[in-house]
Amino acid sequence: MSNVISAKNLTLAYDNGRKEIIKNASFNIRKGDFVFITGPSGSGKSTLLKALYGQLKPKEGNLVVGGVDLANVSSRKLQELRTHMGIIFQDYKLINEWTVAKNVVLPLMIAGYSIDVQNAQAHRLLKHVKLAEHADKFPLELSGGEQQRVGVARALAKNPVVILADEPTGNLDDYSSNVIWDLMENACQQLETTVLVVTHKIPTIFSLPYRHFIIESKGVYEVH
Amino acid sequence: MKFIKNHLMFILPLMAILLGIEFYLVFDRTTDSYEKGLKEGYTMLVVTKKPVTLRKLKSLNEHIAGIETIKREQIVSEVAQGVSKQSQKEILAALPYFYNVGLDSYLETAQIEKIKRDLEKDPLIKRVETFGSSYSSAYRLFSFIKFLLKVFIGFMGIVSLFLIIKQMEIWKYAHKERMQVMEIFGAPLMLRSGVLFKVAIFDAFIATLLVSGIFFYVKFVWAAQSGIDLMMQKQDELFRISDMAILLGAALFLVIVAVYTVVFSSRGVQE
Repeated sequence: MSNVISAKNLTLAYDNGRKEIIKNASFNIRKGDFVFITGPSGSGKSTLLKALYGQLKPKEGNLVVGGVDLANVSSRKLQELRTHMGIIFQDYKLINEWTVAKNVVLPLMIAGYSIDVQNAQAHRLLKHVKLAEHADKFPLELSGGEQQRVGVARALAKNPVVILADEPTGNLDDYSSNVIWDLMENACQQLETTVLVVTHKIPTIFSLPYRHFIIESKGVYEVH
Repeated sequence: MKFIKNHLMFILPLMAILLGIEFYLVFDRTTDSYEKGLKEGYTMLVVTKKPVTLRKLKSLNEHIAGIETIKREQIVSEVAQGVSKQSQKEILAALPYFYNVGLDSYLETAQIEKIKRDLEKDPLIKRVETFGSSYSSAYRLFSFIKFLLKVFIGFMGIVSLFLIIKQMEIWKYAHKERMQVMEIFGAPLMLRSGVLFKVAIFDAFIATLLVSGIFFYVKFVWAAQSGIDLMMQKQDELFRISDMAILLGAALFLVIVAVYTVVFSSRGVQE
């Protein structure tokens, strides 16, 4: 199966390259893989995710996502690549002045879909994450778990090639966490979406086969 | 209430800048001919024993640019009314020659005094009257007023710019998160800054309309009743439709710069 993400001798750093977080990492992630990335706090999990959605340019090496080399990418190409990604954040990053439905269809809005398509998709997605009755509410009127479900629905809106999730259940109770894992498992299984999750702890109830990478001492290692 | 407050916070400083621009345009237009008159209308009176030519006077001082003969017959007819024709002829014969002499540019009092000295050195010339002090003081007062207005407009512009920068910070605070989220999902610049552009362009139109309204009032109501000659004579110059285009252009330029500054400074994901 083809690689959706490919890193070769990847070095990521902050402070204009002075502070190296990840050094000489090489790994491949294939289409339909469900990947957990774990590691101690400050090890560089979120930094790797940032690099994957093009927010941090590699200092050295190659990082190719969806066929786009992120070490040498134009802003237009990066913009285009991001429309094929679904990103989920620990702090949800919903737009609080927009309704839940409008938040969910943001990727469709960006892609220029008609209002009718957006409305139909918003209804379908919110039903899928069991929030149909909250479509016209604003994010701050929802609980943390519900907000994260909106975040997941937004990430799934355009059937992305890859979903990147940064501690998606970090702020949630067990019940809400399980709902989020279910939704992501379904996306991976049914849509063959590649899912890459940065987390402190792999959930105990997880039915899908997955790959596990650990970031430690600036290296990225796969656990077999 | 919050909606109105947010808009006023940007509209008021923008209006102050537009008022400054319009003040400058109007002042420049209405005083242009007055300034020209002060500069170019100035002449000195030269009295000579015999007729002289422009070339002759130019040879005495290079700043002399024009010469106009004052008709001696006219002077005699005015000063010797009721006098016999014979006496008038005698007066005419004894009368010197009078000339209004124009200069090539606006000159300082000291330079005018030098021209006077140069001319008086010539034995043909009896007397030179420069009217230097009244000319100089009128022009200097005018220049001073103009300078003060420019300083005031400049100061108003700087203060207003600071207020606009303050408003830009508020915009940044209010829109940053939304723009960043949209950027992460691949929204192009125009889409993620669309809301801000709409707000800012709306404010630019409102500020332009309000300033135009003020100047329409000044033109059609206030100027007519002001009793100020300059205002009443130059009423048409007080506001033109083309000024609206200049004001709208300036307002749009300012908002586009302001919005782009906010958009570009809001890039990247907030941690």
